[in-house]
Amino acid sequence: MSATWTVFVYGMVTALATALGAVPFAFVRTVSARVLSASNAVASGLMLGACFGLVAEGTAIGAWQTGLGGLAGVVFILATKRILDGHDLEFGEVRGAGARRMVLIVVVMTVHSIAEGVAIGASFAGGAVLATVITTAIAVHNVPEGLAISAVLRPQGASLGACAWWSFFSSLPQPIVAVPAFLFVDAFAPALPYGMGFAAVAMVFMVLVELLPEAYEEGNRANVGVLVSLSLIAMVAFQRLL
Amino acid sequence: MMPWMMVVLAASAAAGATALGILPLRSGRPASRWMAWSSALAGGLMIAASFALVESVPRSTTLQMALGAVAGIGVLHLARVAIGARDIRLHQLDAVTDTYGRNVLRVGMIHAAAEGAAIGAAMAQDIAFGVFVAVALALHNVPEGTLLGAVLQARGASLQRAAVLGVAANSGQVILALGTYLALLRWPAGLALLLGFAAGALVYLVLVDLLPDAYEGAGAKSIALTVVLALWTFGLLHGVLRG
Repeated sequence: MSATWTVFVYGMVTALATALGAVPFAFVRTVSARVLSASNAVASGLMLGACFGLVAEGTAIGAWQTGLGGLAGVVFILATKRILDGHDLEFGEVRGAGARRMVLIVVVMTVHSIAEGVAIGASFAGGAVLATVITTAIAVHNVPEGLAISAVLRPQGASLGACAWWSFFSSLPQPIVAVPAFLFVDAFAPALPYGMGFAAVAMVFMVLVELLPEAYEEGNRANVGVLVSLSLIAMVAFQRLL
Repeated sequence: MMPWMMVVLAASAAAGATALGILPLRSGRPASRWMAWSSALAGGLMIAASFALVESVPRSTTLQMALGAVAGIGVLHLARVAIGARDIRLHQLDAVTDTYGRNVLRVGMIHAAAEGAAIGAAMAQDIAFGVFVAVALALHNVPEGTLLGAVLQARGASLQRAAVLGVAANSGQVILALGTYLALLRWPAGLALLLGFAAGALVYLVLVDLLPDAYEGAGAKSIALTVVLALWTFGLLHGVLRG
């Protein structure tokens, strides 16, 4: 197998791992307001925790580049929201605000995977051992990301299969971007801190503008507070221990 | 200056910043939109502070940090339940019953306690880092002072009295900051645990008090932009100072 294929296959494995995030939702059948609120809270915590890691890594390479990437992240979400608001969206059976939220989380998580694809490709340029470590880490850390996506999609009425598929889909940029990032690592590596800043701010903004308001509306603030902060800490610890 | 004096000074300055929050009240009560945006700004600063606390913990002690964070979330949650303020909303400036006023003060004291632990633990890690955290928390105390002042003013208190009460409610953070700092001098192995405790406590307070109040007073988009602005600014500053 040529090196390029290896990179692609590794990237594909990390993408498939994301689909595992749908598994816990096999056990969630009834979707009450409480489940909706709790799911949004957990998704918010996981995404905020992921941002802690992204910002720490990004600023370790270059603080200003990460900051610039972050500004682009805000503009991106505002623009995407504006485009989505202008259309009567359908996502499977769902329409209206629920559908917008579903599309937005898939878009945000898909775009944020691009930075992870660059990280996979660039790590292969650093040798096979490093590549295996980084790929495994990204694959494992994709699982809670799939969980976050499924936590938003499932309570709105998406099927289990749809949750798994869109989780997987959101990570497809990883194999696709990993290959050119590996082949032209010198050109791609400097883009990493921008990408990390972009991904982090886009996720925080998405959490703040869509997920948290709905979590508070559908549940009580004490429960939301506990769930978000616990899942945030769990994500941070999980990423640091990998 | 002895390091412990630095701790007292920084924590006192952070507590004193509460009085600055009274100033806007001189020209009448601020609109609820402004209160909402201040809460969002304060929330962003607190999340940024907890990010800095988490990142200051070495990877090798991540588990202790996580345990501490879970304890921080648990203790604060129980404290809120214990004072009967589980679902209190802090922006009800017209609901000026005795119970409400007392609860706002008590919740303010819980906030101050968490902030004190944060400043003390950060100082024990590194004095300059402690100052950074204290500045973030001092800035967050300003809008907290405005809120407290508005509630007290609605109950007929003079602005001077409101300022004194506000600083007094926050003065617990000086004692907790010093206590945490001195405890960590004797027990350095507890650093990761206490940094985690403070980080978890701060994040919990943002999510249970500051953000829900913020969303009630202004649109989600403007709240999100305000929080992101605070996070972005302090995240960048943190990165630049560290780099």
